[in-house]
Amino acid sequence: MKTKVLVCTAALFLAAGSLFADESDTNAVHRSCCMPAVVPSKPLTDKSLYQLDSTWTNDDGKAFQLSSLRGRPQIVVMFFASCQFTCPLTVVRLKQLEAALPPEIQAKVGFTLVSFDSVRDTPTALKNYRTQHALSSDAWTLLNGSPNSVLDLAAVLGVKFKQDAQGQFSHSNLITLLNSEGEIVHQFAGLNPDNQQMTAEIKKLVEH
Amino acid sequence: MACEAETLPEGMVRIPTGIYHPFFRATNDPKEITVKGFALDMLPVTIGEFLEFVRTHPQWQRSRVKHLFADDSYLKNWAGDLVPGANAPLDTPVTFVSWFAARAYAESKGKRLPTVAEWEYAAQASPTEADGRNDTAFKRKVLEWYSTPAPEKLAAVGSGPANFYGVRDLHGLVWEWVLDFNTAMVTGDSRGDGGIDAQFFCGAGSQGAQNPDDFPAFMRYGFRSSLKADYCVHNLGFRCAKDL
Repeated sequence: MKTKVLVCTAALFLAAGSLFADESDTNAVHRSCCMPAVVPSKPLTDKSLYQLDSTWTNDDGKAFQLSSLRGRPQIVVMFFASCQFTCPLTVVRLKQLEAALPPEIQAKVGFTLVSFDSVRDTPTALKNYRTQHALSSDAWTLLNGSPNSVLDLAAVLGVKFKQDAQGQFSHSNLITLLNSEGEIVHQFAGLNPDNQQMTAEIKKLVEH
Repeated sequence: MACEAETLPEGMVRIPTGIYHPFFRATNDPKEITVKGFALDMLPVTIGEFLEFVRTHPQWQRSRVKHLFADDSYLKNWAGDLVPGANAPLDTPVTFVSWFAARAYAESKGKRLPTVAEWEYAAQASPTEADGRNDTAFKRKVLEWYSTPAPEKLAAVGSGPANFYGVRDLHGLVWEWVLDFNTAMVTGDSRGDGGIDAQFFCGAGSQGAQNPDDFPAFMRYGFRSSLKADYCVHNLGFRCAKDL
């Protein structure tokens, strides 16, 4: 059986141009002000990804700990913004998934995109990506981290990746579903995950 | 005038800058990679050394380790948290350690794990030459080891011959973790299909084998690609590297 490698002949650079950060977008600020007052205080579980103590930067340029995602199940994907092949497809998939969720479920889950590209995916680049893909700021978290942080997260997610000489990343296409404690509940591999199955898994988590 | 010799931490040797020919490479990647000079442990980390580490870093003791960072086999051959016991002699290489544990150990020493390129570059040295790829006797020895199952009881570190740089046991004792083990993307046909790992990749750089008759290199790539960062197995240890 042939190795299933999809060759991504993507152009190398961020689609530059009219992609400026939307200065009026202050939802992220609202979000941080409206975090639930009661923060879970029990210790993280043995298998919680939120034990990773790496510090990330979100697309507002603010320092971000993964543990701040605690309390809300997350759909996590590693990507890079200049990918012109599978990453945009995955993001489109996730948006379709989000749109298909009943509103009461939708409000209770988050989507986290973590970049492989520590250098090029600056907060500004990620903010542009958010704008370009119309990712709502209350549900979607976009993160940049140091190469070591990226390596750690990829390791706990089981994501493999490699940067080639041109700066493109080969990487696993893996969608990970975390419960509210940051434990891996389910992983969906490939470009065509079963939306119904993902929806069912998310519902189970939220209703749990 | 020659440069003054750097002061290297005890037990490390300097591996000078040189060229590494990656076994697998992306279509866009160069045939050769320049490996910048670095320091490498002469020996794999021993159980005795790891025992000192878990004494001072109790979160890495067997009963306390978080299972995000190490699977159930972590330090399985030890008799207890601080007692390696008869099955884990102090002078043998520590195995049953996860990538996370190996990294934590290295960090505690102000070191790091070597990269694939660094490890492979150092490991291509035969006892007499920096580039042992054409040394048939050396290649045969290495191949013999890869075709022998790991013994129940591992030998003490340092029992193998020193290579050109004075590094021992890169071949012939245990497999070793590398920093970027999860960049090896050999899947499917190279090691039997199965499970989620055989699913799709975005091969923004797809890879090809450079030298298909380098069977040991192929084995190592296949092995690395089968690893997960929490895996702890009998014949997988590590050694540390450091920037110069």
